[in-house]
Amino acid sequence: MTFQTHDARILEVKELTSREKLFTLRFVDPEINRKFKYKPGQFVVVDIRGFGEFPISLCSTPTREGYFQLCVRRVGRMTKHMHTLKEGDIVGIRGPYGNGFPMEKMEGSTLILVAGGLGMAPLRSVLWYALDSGKYEKIYLFYGTKAYEDILFRDEVIHLLKHGEDMNCHVKLAYEVESPSCIYLEKGYSPRVCKGVVTDLFRGESFDVENTYALICGPPVMYKFVIKELLDRKLSPGRIYMTLERRMRCGVGKCGHCIVGTSTSIKYVCKDGPVFTYWDALSTRGLI
Amino acid sequence: MIVLRYVKLPQENFEEFFNSLKRWGKLYAPVKKGDIYSFQNVETLSEIALDYTRTMLPPKKFFVRPKDEMLKLKEGHWEEANGTEPIVLFGVHSCDIHGLEILDKVYLSDPVDPYYKKRRENSIIIGISCMPDEYCFCKSLGTDFAMHGFDLFLHELPDGWLVRVGSVKGHEIAWGSEELFENVTEEDFHHFREFEEKRTNSFKRSLNKEGLADILDLAFDSPVWKKYERICLGCGNCNMVCPTCRCYEVCDLWINAYEAVRVRRYDSCFMETHGLVAGGHNFRPTRLDRFRHRYYCKNYFDPESGFNCVGCGRCDEFCPAKIEHVKVLDKVREGLQ
Repeated sequence: MTFQTHDARILEVKELTSREKLFTLRFVDPEINRKFKYKPGQFVVVDIRGFGEFPISLCSTPTREGYFQLCVRRVGRMTKHMHTLKEGDIVGIRGPYGNGFPMEKMEGSTLILVAGGLGMAPLRSVLWYALDSGKYEKIYLFYGTKAYEDILFRDEVIHLLKHGEDMNCHVKLAYEVESPSCIYLEKGYSPRVCKGVVTDLFRGESFDVENTYALICGPPVMYKFVIKELLDRKLSPGRIYMTLERRMRCGVGKCGHCIVGTSTSIKYVCKDGPVFTYWDALSTRGLI
Repeated sequence: MIVLRYVKLPQENFEEFFNSLKRWGKLYAPVKKGDIYSFQNVETLSEIALDYTRTMLPPKKFFVRPKDEMLKLKEGHWEEANGTEPIVLFGVHSCDIHGLEILDKVYLSDPVDPYYKKRRENSIIIGISCMPDEYCFCKSLGTDFAMHGFDLFLHELPDGWLVRVGSVKGHEIAWGSEELFENVTEEDFHHFREFEEKRTNSFKRSLNKEGLADILDLAFDSPVWKKYERICLGCGNCNMVCPTCRCYEVCDLWINAYEAVRVRRYDSCFMETHGLVAGGHNFRPTRLDRFRHRYYCKNYFDPESGFNCVGCGRCDEFCPAKIEHVKVLDKVREGLQ
């Protein structure tokens, strides 16, 4: 049934920052576990029975099977409850929903991942997928964060700062709040780590626009600034992918909250998205 | 042997036919309640207001209920809430039949909504002809005549009803009471055409839909929206009574210490929370955004099925600020010229 959720057990809870926790889960039923196939950029609906449901993007990669991961920021009633859960607890999961990033189409190209804050979560799925599959020419990760303490998947980001070049993965980090840890990072990896916002990381970079895709996820205010940088470099609107957020209750295009657009074009963010190209945003008002 | 597809139901057999419908399910029909009409369970023909204009809540209330239990929590797992009973909706107007077909497009498209589907399959729709009042503008949207989406449709004749059979189920119903029907004569068709002609000429309101989708898209920043933002109370009445509005909110409720239910209920895009996400960001923060959003949603032009509005006039009749749908759109159009 459409709105029934499947039992999933929390295998591990990891504190990423003071606000975000990483939950590793696996379906209790091995059959469902085997059938659960997803793409980077898709999302699931987490059901805490008796309390409610919330949609959340998958931040693990389908190339590593047997489990999936969700990065949850404690920000409201549901996520607060989610943060109280421990290893071994059961939650309900339905999904995956949404279209996801067109990973096959982008094979052989350079990927520019632009993440702001919590936007790192869905893009981590893309990053791992790209690294695991090895089918992409070059991967750039531009990550804008508030402070050192807010860097999500900090150990992974720092590892890629150190060793990423060997894997054709170039990580750049922008932070806003100065702290000894950030200055230490900046000293070690200058100019790839700098104080500023995520668009500052584009400085001095040029891309082969015929063979590049940009993938963006971040707070709503970030999109237009990042897109301007990309358009200045003549990257086609069809090569800019953004994953968007909206209020969602059903995840399957029924509840109506995520409808965006005008009389000529209406899109459901949950069903037609959450991944859209910038061209979609140009033809459907209100997407960004 | 009566040729089914168009049959005649003489007035003297009407009551018997009406009573015979009860064996197909619980019978609901429009009744007058105070100043408004409403679809209610009825037992006798005399309770019904056959010449009603429009009910306050459209027939969507039987398929997407104002408050609807989806799942019941039992020992940590969800069980499907109680099933549905067969119902017969008697006296549905053509605009509402079109409204249900628009809902079908949403709820029956993949993945199918199981609750809606079950209720739709368990319902019989009997349409009835009507005369427009000052709010109706269905003619301009092409929803003034239903070609499908009903089981039987009754058209008023001077001495009875011309019945169109619209589905296999409808055929079976008519077959089951075969003795009540007669063959249709040329004269009946003449009366039918006469009625339709009279009806077509009685519309007082019409929507100019010429290029409407493009005009609205271009008028995104029109000052007309700003003007109506100040008039609109943001109460969401128009959403509740609209036959094609179907946004719903979901919440889990505890009945007692041991039992919880997952309930969905009507939501309105005029509520501030409609575009709100966790963390406090609101994608439609002002009333202007929300007002415009509803007009864009209703007037979205789907090349396959047309607009999302059926011209029933409910949002006009039940708007406490007396905002008129057609007038808003005309003003937006004028503002662009």
